[in-house]
Order: sequence, then structure tokens, then C-alpha cells
Amino acid sequence: MIVFDDVSVTYKGGVQALKNFSLTIDHGEFVVIVGLSGAGKSTMLRALNGGLVPATSGSITVDGVEVVGADASTLRGVRKRIGMIFQTFNLVGRTSVLNNVLMGRLSYVPAWRSTLGLWPADDREQAMQSLERVGIVEKAYVRASDLSGGQQQRVGIARALAQDPRIILADEPVAALDPVTSRQVMRELQRINTDLGITTLINLHYLDLAQEFGQRLVGLRDGELVFDGDIADVTDDTFHSIYGRSITSDDVLSD
Amino acid sequence: MTSPLDANDTAAVLDTDQAAPRPTMPVGPGRWKWIIAGIISVALVWSISGLSIGIDRLLGAPGDAWGIARLMWPPDFATELERGVLGKVLESVYIAWIGTIIAATFSLPLSFLAASNVAPRWLRRVVRNLFNVIRSVPELIVAVILIAVTGLGPWAGALAIGLHSIGTLGKLSSEAIESIDNGPLEAVSSSGGRWVSKMRWGVLPQVLPTITSYWLFRFEINVRASAVLGLIGAGGVGSELVSQLNFRNFPQVAAVLIVTVAVVLTIDNASSAVRRRIISGGGGLPGDQSRMAILWADLTGRKT
Amino acid sequence: MSSPTEPITQQRPVKPTRRIRTLAIVLALVGFTYFSANQVGVKLSTFWEVWTNPLWEKFWPVPWDWVLNRTNVLDPLVETFQIAIVSSVIGCGLALPASFLMSRLTTPNRPTHVVSRAFMGVVRAIPDLFWAKLLVTAVGIGAFAGAWALSIFSFAVMVKLFSETIDGADPRPLEAAVAAGGRHMPAVRSGVLPEVFPAYVAYALYTFELNIRASIVLGLVGAGGVGRVIDAQRQFFRFDRILGILILVFVVVFIIDQISVALRKRLV
Repeated sequence: MIVFDDVSVTYKGGVQALKNFSLTIDHGEFVVIVGLSGAGKSTMLRALNGGLVPATSGSITVDGVEVVGADASTLRGVRKRIGMIFQTFNLVGRTSVLNNVLMGRLSYVPAWRSTLGLWPADDREQAMQSLERVGIVEKAYVRASDLSGGQQQRVGIARALAQDPRIILADEPVAALDPVTSRQVMRELQRINTDLGITTLINLHYLDLAQEFGQRLVGLRDGELVFDGDIADVTDDTFHSIYGRSITSDDVLSD
Repeated sequence: MTSPLDANDTAAVLDTDQAAPRPTMPVGPGRWKWIIAGIISVALVWSISGLSIGIDRLLGAPGDAWGIARLMWPPDFATELERGVLGKVLESVYIAWIGTIIAATFSLPLSFLAASNVAPRWLRRVVRNLFNVIRSVPELIVAVILIAVTGLGPWAGALAIGLHSIGTLGKLSSEAIESIDNGPLEAVSSSGGRWVSKMRWGVLPQVLPTITSYWLFRFEINVRASAVLGLIGAGGVGSELVSQLNFRNFPQVAAVLIVTVAVVLTIDNASSAVRRRIISGGGGLPGDQSRMAILWADLTGRKT
Repeated sequence: MSSPTEPITQQRPVKPTRRIRTLAIVLALVGFTYFSANQVGVKLSTFWEVWTNPLWEKFWPVPWDWVLNRTNVLDPLVETFQIAIVSSVIGCGLALPASFLMSRLTTPNRPTHVVSRAFMGVVRAIPDLFWAKLLVTAVGIGAFAGAWALSIFSFAVMVKLFSETIDGADPRPLEAAVAAGGRHMPAVRSGVLPEVFPAYVAYALYTFELNIRASIVLGLVGAGGVGRVIDAQRQFFRFDRILGILILVFVVVFIIDQISVALRKRLV
């Protein structure tokens, strides 16, 4: 269970990215977070993920462990079971797909072993299985930079899965992909959620994608929670309150 | 201008009110140009008079040089090969290689501490300044001091080259690290990796090809540097050049020079071919070109 | 809502091994290093023994009276800067027309371009202190030989840097000037020079900074300047004096660098 309680995040320059934000997410939920860019979606995920962005005040607990103000080893412990998927994939292009996925095992393997590249057989197996789950195992020894965007994001998902995560956070996972690939990647994430019961939080910009795949919708505007409810209850008014304007063609993913 | 021109009286035209006012030449960069030209002229005159270079000497010098050049022909390869000039040149190459390895070994870990995106700011400043201080002491000066400690010979030369190269290699490597894509670093952090894992899996794969090519480039520079070190007794082909010059055996001198140039150019070509392969394998990092230009200035034999 | 994707039958790939190639490269590198280390006489113990060498005591205290004495160090230091100034002006001055002859864009004809390129390559392959040593033999010990050597080398460096800048210049103004009926050199002067002159000034100042540094060590091979003093003092093992000279030199060089950087900002 994830609990945000009255969380605020203020960046060094004085920009307040999250304001008195409270939210509770149960195990196994599939939550889509929407909002304009700069609304605080990305900050929210990073504050949750072991303080990649530290919260200024309030409390964030992940399965009962407090994240705000925790020491480095506690944070690593929290991050260990949270897989993260990025808009820009964040793969190392010059190394193999398998090595990229093995990075998800870093917190399970002693630092000296991973540094020397002496990955235990079990961890290799886990990485291979993650690749199989996203259907790209045949590319295991290909350089990551030689893959297409959609394939790279699958590797990103496999890396998150290799962490054996309880939670997956996806920060605009399809923003850099074309419509067809976007839907494939979203389906992949949805399937992982239903098959493995991993709590999944996804930031999205596109409203139609959110409606197509989301169960629970969270709306953010200027760092504040403006909507939290079932996707079926969403109306045009809801979007108006999140975006402060009517929906335009920029907000939907055409085919 | 609207008034009809009177070709015989341009001054009158300039005086007419109807003439559009011509802009005055802007002061600023223009004035600086003249000030600097003046400074250069004064400095030049002062320097020439200070060095007491007489006209006769100035005019005589090309003749002297030409005289020496004629004495060098034909080069005496036979005597030099017998004296083992090839071994001497190769000794310079070994010195350069060992020096480069010493520099690579020390500069690689240090460069991580000097990169702003992976090291704390205060540490970065300390290591950066260390690199700059090292860089500013020429190899020859380092060698002069080291020779006193380790004695004459190639090992002193290799140490001098290695120590000096740490400065340049460290600076360039840390800049390469600063120009990486930081996304993979965040990915490693977010999976709970430690600092050392971030360096090994987030940074190293991105920078290693580039940094390896810097090492090779530095090796090319160091071959020249180690040849020079022989001039003050730190091993290699320089010592052979000195002894032949002292005995004014000019045909032998020519042979030494030609063999040196041949070996230097061969190594340059081989090394740059390897460098091209390494870099083309993965595309360079942003800013590679300008950093290569700095290395190039070093390659010309002028240590910065 | 969509249906789950079909399970695809997947085959795990075999890890591609280039073991023989990798092994050969590693062996060659290790072997060459080992061989070189033997030839050079590497003594790793130097790395820890060097710190306890009694010689370090000879570096302290610095005899500032001696260092700041006019005839001992200051005059040779001034000579060093005079060498750098003269050679920078001569080298950079000659490089200006030579670069235009050598650049692909502005060369009057192709043989000039090819021959001069090859010649300059050979000039640069000989290290600067070799030039200095040769010229000391040719024209005698002293600052004159040093100024010569650095002039040659500044010229070689400037021509390389500047002719490549000209290569990259916009060819259209030159075409326009030629189309307007200009002869070759005047056309270059009005069509290309304005575009590349700021780069020339920047390289010239850069060359000057390099010359300052290079002129310090020239004296070690008998070519004048403060290096001559360093060379003499090392024969007497007066490392305290050498340290004093080095501190003084680096303070002065630092100041000159700052001035040069400030000038470069103003001009470019």
C-alpha cells in the first residue's frame, strides 16, 4: 500500500511542484495519472521512488516504510522493489540488452560481483525471463541502441521486471512512441498488472489512452490533486477541471 | 543623396543639408584593434632589442641553417643502424607506452571524482584544480626533478610522462563523463543501485570508447614527448640525437631524424585508425571534437 | 479493453562469443606492456619509496633572495617572454598568407595544396625541442636559436589550425568576388578574410600562450631563457632554487594567461 499524506515538494528555485498532496493506493491497483506538463506528475513518482526527488514536507509510506527523510540504505531498500520506466527509456545504448536488464538486479547482487560483471546464474535467469515476458528475448545480446523505440521501451519494462517489483512506476512511458507502439506498450503494462498483480502507476498525457487502459484516474493540476476516482466516472467536466480548458486534438492520441 | 552631384566639388556636396548624415565609424572593437596592434608592435620592438638580434645575425641565420642542412646530406643510415638507432626509437615508444598506462590507471578513477554530474561539488573543484596544476608543469621539468630521485634513464622518463599526462587525460575524461546522457544514472538509482554501480553500469559503458580514444591520442603525443626527454638524459632516441649533434656528425643526425619521423608518423597513422574504429563503433559524445582539438594542440609537441 | 497479447514462441539466443579475438587483443596488449616495462626498467617500488627520499629536503626552504635577484632569474625570465613574443609574431605573421595558400578553398592551385600539406606534416612530426637542439647547433647557443625554433613551430601549428578553419569557411563570398572579376588573391582578401579573421586572432593568442610555456623549457637544450638557469641549477642539485624559479614562473604564466584570455574575449 502506498500512502501520500500532505506531501509538498519545493525545488531549489522555489518552484512548488506538489502542494499538500494526499493519496492512498492499494496493492495491485492500476492507476493512471493525468495532468498538463509541469502539473507535478513526474515529481510525484520520483518523490515516491525512494526520494529520487526528496519531499519537502509530509509523509510518504510504501508498505509501511517511511520514505521522507529516510537514510540512504532505507531508500535503497524501498527502491529495490519499485521498478521504474522512463519516457526516454534511459538505456545504456552502447551495451547489450541483457546488460541493461541486469541493471535491474543491482540491488540483489553484491556490489563487487556486479561491478566485475560476475552476475550469478539466478540473476541472469531472472533477466532472461523478464525479457521473455516482454517478448524480446531474441535481442538479448544486441546493443540497446540498435533497437527501435518500441523495442527499447520493452527493454525498459524488462529491466523494471527484473527487480521483481511490488510497484511499477511509469513516467510518460509512451510519449516518445508512435500510436500503434504506444498501445502495444500500454497493453503490455496492463497485462503485467493483471498477471503478476504488481501495483502500477502510470503518468500519461493522452486522455484517450488513459480512458482506454486506466481503472483509476488521478488528476493533477498545479501540484494539487483535482480528481481521484473511477475512470467510468470521468466526464468532460473532469477534464476541464484538470486541464483548465477543453480537450484539444493535442490531448488525444490519434491512430 | 538627392541633390545633383557636382563632380568638381565633392566638399560642397558633403556640406549640403540634404545629404544624409554618414554614420561615424563606431568605436569599440575597432578601437581595440588599434590598441592591440600598438601593444604588439611595442612588445615586438622591445623583445627584438632585448634579445640583441642584430640585422647581420638575422640575415646570416638562414645561411647557417642551410649550411647545416647541406652537411646532413646524404643521411648515414648504415652507421646509425649499426649504433642501434632503431632500438633507441623503440625505447622512446616503450617509455611512451608505460607512461600512458600509468596516466590511464590514475586518471580514470580520478576523473569520476572531477565530473560534476557524479561527484560532489567541493570534491570536483579540488580534483579539477589538481589536474590543472599537473597539466601546467611540463614533462621536462617533472623529468628534471624525477631524474634526481630515480636516477638517469627511461624509468624516470616514463614516470615524468605518466605524471604529466594524468592532468590532461583526467581533465578530458571528466569532461567526457559530464557530457553523458544522465538517464541511465537515474535508472540505476531507481533500481536501488549504489554509487559504484551507477559508475560501472550507468557511466562507464557510455564513456569508455571515448576515453580509450583519448588514451591512444595521448600515446601518440607521448611518443614525441619521450623522444624529447632523451635530450636531458631520460632515455630514448633524444640521447642519440644529442650525442651525434655534439660530435657534429650531421649525416648521422639526419638518419636519426628521418628514422624518428618515420616511426612517429607510422604510430600516428596506426593509432588514429584504431581510434576511428573505436569511436565509429558507437558514435562519440557531445563535445568530442573540441576536446580532440585540445589534444591535437598537445600532439604538436606543445604541452598545455 | 484489449485482449492479452498472444504468447510468442521465443528462442533464447546463444551468447555470441568472439573469445579468440578478444583473447588475442588482450594478450597482445598485456604482452607489449610487459615487454615495455622490462625495457624501461619499471620499478613499482618507486611509487612508495619516492616519498621518503631524503632528496625532498633539498627543495626547502626556497631562497627567495636568490630567486628574485635580477641577474639570477629575472633577466632570463624576461628573455623567455621576449623569445615567446618574437616567435609568436613571426610564426603567426607568416602563417597568415601560408594558410591561404594551403587551404583547399583558397589555394591557387592543387599541387601547392598537396605539397605544402605534406611538408608541414613532416615539420610537425619533429618535436619542438628537436628543432631547438638542431638550431642551437646551427646558429649557436642562446636565445636566438630558441626564437628560431619556436617561430618554425608556431608557424606549423598556426598553419594547421588556421588553414582548416579556412577550409570550413563559406565559399559563396569568394565565388561572388571572383565572379565580379577579382584576381585570386584580392578576391580571397575581400571574400574570405573577414569571415575567418576572428578565428585567426584567437589561434594567435592561443599560440602565444603555448609559446610562453614552451619557451620556459627551451633553455634545457641550450636555447636561452629561464630554462638555462634551471638546467644549471640542477647540475648543482640546488632544488630549492629550482622550486623557487618554478613558483615564480607559474605565477607569471598564470597572469599572462589571464590577460590573454581577457583579450581573446574582447576581440572574438
